[in-house]
Amino acid sequence: MTELIISQVVNGLVLGFLYVLIAIGLSIIFGMLGIVNFAHGVYFALGAYFALTLRDSLGPWAIVFAPLGVGVVGIVIEMTLMRPLYGKEPLLGLFMTFGIALFIEELIRTIWGAAGHPFNPPGWLSGFIVWGPVLVTKYRLFVLVVTILILIALWLFLQGTRYGRIIRAGSRDPEMVSMLGINLKRVFTAVFGLGTAVAGIAGVLAAPLWSVVPSMSEAAIMPAFVVVTIGGLGSFGGAVISGLLVGVSVALSIQFWPAASTAVMYALMILILLVRPRGLLGESWERFE
Amino acid sequence: MTKTTGFGISRRTLLAGATFGAAQLASPFVITARAAEAVKVGLLLPKSGPYAVQGEIGQHGAQVAIDDFGGHVLDRPIELIWLDESSPQTTQQNMRKLVEEEKVVAVQGGVSSGDVLAIMPVAERAQRLLMATGPNATEITGKNCSKYTFRVDLPNKVTVNSVYPLLKERGKKWYFVVASYAWGIDAYNQMKDVVVKDGGNVVGYDQAPLGTTDFSSYLLKVRQAKPDVVYVGLGGTDLTNFLKQMKEIGLTNQMALSAPIVNDTDLWAAGPDAAFGIYPKIWNYTGAHITKRSTDFVEAFKKKYGQPPEAEGWQDWFGMTSILTAIKETKSTDSTKLVSFLEEHKFEGYKDAPIFFRNFDHQLVQPLLVAQVKEKITDKYDYFDIKSEYPKDPSALDAAYGSQAEIGCTFKS
Repeated sequence: MTELIISQVVNGLVLGFLYVLIAIGLSIIFGMLGIVNFAHGVYFALGAYFALTLRDSLGPWAIVFAPLGVGVVGIVIEMTLMRPLYGKEPLLGLFMTFGIALFIEELIRTIWGAAGHPFNPPGWLSGFIVWGPVLVTKYRLFVLVVTILILIALWLFLQGTRYGRIIRAGSRDPEMVSMLGINLKRVFTAVFGLGTAVAGIAGVLAAPLWSVVPSMSEAAIMPAFVVVTIGGLGSFGGAVISGLLVGVSVALSIQFWPAASTAVMYALMILILLVRPRGLLGESWERFE
Repeated sequence: MTKTTGFGISRRTLLAGATFGAAQLASPFVITARAAEAVKVGLLLPKSGPYAVQGEIGQHGAQVAIDDFGGHVLDRPIELIWLDESSPQTTQQNMRKLVEEEKVVAVQGGVSSGDVLAIMPVAERAQRLLMATGPNATEITGKNCSKYTFRVDLPNKVTVNSVYPLLKERGKKWYFVVASYAWGIDAYNQMKDVVVKDGGNVVGYDQAPLGTTDFSSYLLKVRQAKPDVVYVGLGGTDLTNFLKQMKEIGLTNQMALSAPIVNDTDLWAAGPDAAFGIYPKIWNYTGAHITKRSTDFVEAFKKKYGQPPEAEGWQDWFGMTSILTAIKETKSTDSTKLVSFLEEHKFEGYKDAPIFFRNFDHQLVQPLLVAQVKEKITDKYDYFDIKSEYPKDPSALDAAYGSQAEIGCTFKS
């Protein structure tokens, strides 16, 4: 029994990294722009579908170009649909992103069809490693490594570069930053593009594991929201801890009470919100208090 | 100031003009529709969620049936109104909308047994024909049966017997992973009874919430239990995910795999490397069993939608054909008359034996196929070898679906 529990905990941690990866983009966009992006799931789905289309012509390069394509879509949407809503009633942003989510999902259905598409991991990543009671597939390890690299890169970018400082300052006090002569519009567009591109990466990497169907966005959006809410809106560290927490809780509930395995993450979210409404590592933030 | 376009016309004027123009273009069609009131048939199939693909294929099948009738019945145009089937609650609301607001003459659909069980009482109260094309929970034409509900798809109780002989050759240790609602739980109960009665044992039983994306934790348990047979009450994207993730940890073809029923689309989505198993199938677009009428259907479907129809397409094509045949033959849209017709009529040419709805439980009695995924799949769509038909002896057909006493169905009215 102990062996099974160990194997489930490790599996949960690995699954947790996938949840973290899906949640990062949502966290960036919320943390920097204050937008609750309901359309996050469809950028995730677009990543998978772009890779599906590009893999025949580009091979492994599809992993790079598909998320870039999603970032471009994100940038266009930000400039045309999101920008007019900054500083307005937050509810408008919710409606807009919700509308975008429905529209893009239908668009995917129209272009690529409702049926699922086969999507295998590359040959060199198939197979698994067994170490005592622990079994981890090579592909999931790859996802884990990529997630960690993305997190480090984002952290370095936001903390250590001039652009990162502008983004962080702009998210706290846009007026002051604008007065310093910085074009915040462009900064916000870049952040939105970055967030959607990261969602695209998650979509590409999830495609060999999960079904590639138009409704795959639904499968991504709920865990992403749960992870970001538990971790604290906008907090990277919080998202990592909470993603792993959700992964392990889901894995252990499957061991002992599988029928409740979807409910368990929502139960966890309710519990955390009751005890600590701003989430595990959420900072108190004047804009949202 | 009013924003103007390049030609100096205000945007408002332009929009108004465009709307008026569109209305003019559309008006001839509006007038035609008024001339003969449409015969409205409701369709409740998933547009979202794990069964969305089945929903679309089912709608295509129903549309081909309408095309077969030239789009008209009783000299009136047929109008298909498709609302979403996404959960018992919303499906029930949509059923009410179809019956009360749209005044449809009949409703067809239902991929999920849970949704169908929720709308059967609505059909009963409104006395409206419900053609349940896709659900498999035994009780729909068993203890929960209804005078106004007819079921095209196969009950779990029948399908378990069809595949069991092939599966038991693989061993006695069985692991069950089923969706945690009516269909999955019934599938477990039916198959477990057969297995245990024959001296097999259940080494694991897990219920997974409908719409589970990641089965890796379930598969670790399966791997640990080393079963001979894995029986999954999973469908739609759930089955696709399960197959892909079995492949990921090297379980593909390492044990026998079966399910209470299978849709080709779920395997197409998993791909030829991940697809395997022995399954009961209501119908397959290739094989020796196929009739002339079915071949015509395959051709019409391919022509219209560019790919062959899978099982769900056949079910909804047959369901809609039976509704329209009943309307045509009785020259009526009154559900009471349609019900009486369907209880008596034998449909010939659809399968290699005449098929019919039994008058005491409204189950479509039909031969089914035991199909195995090909070892080497070379075609994008042709995944199955047909191993046998069930029952092998056509005269045993009625008995295979259980006698009136075994079924336990009594209609209220």
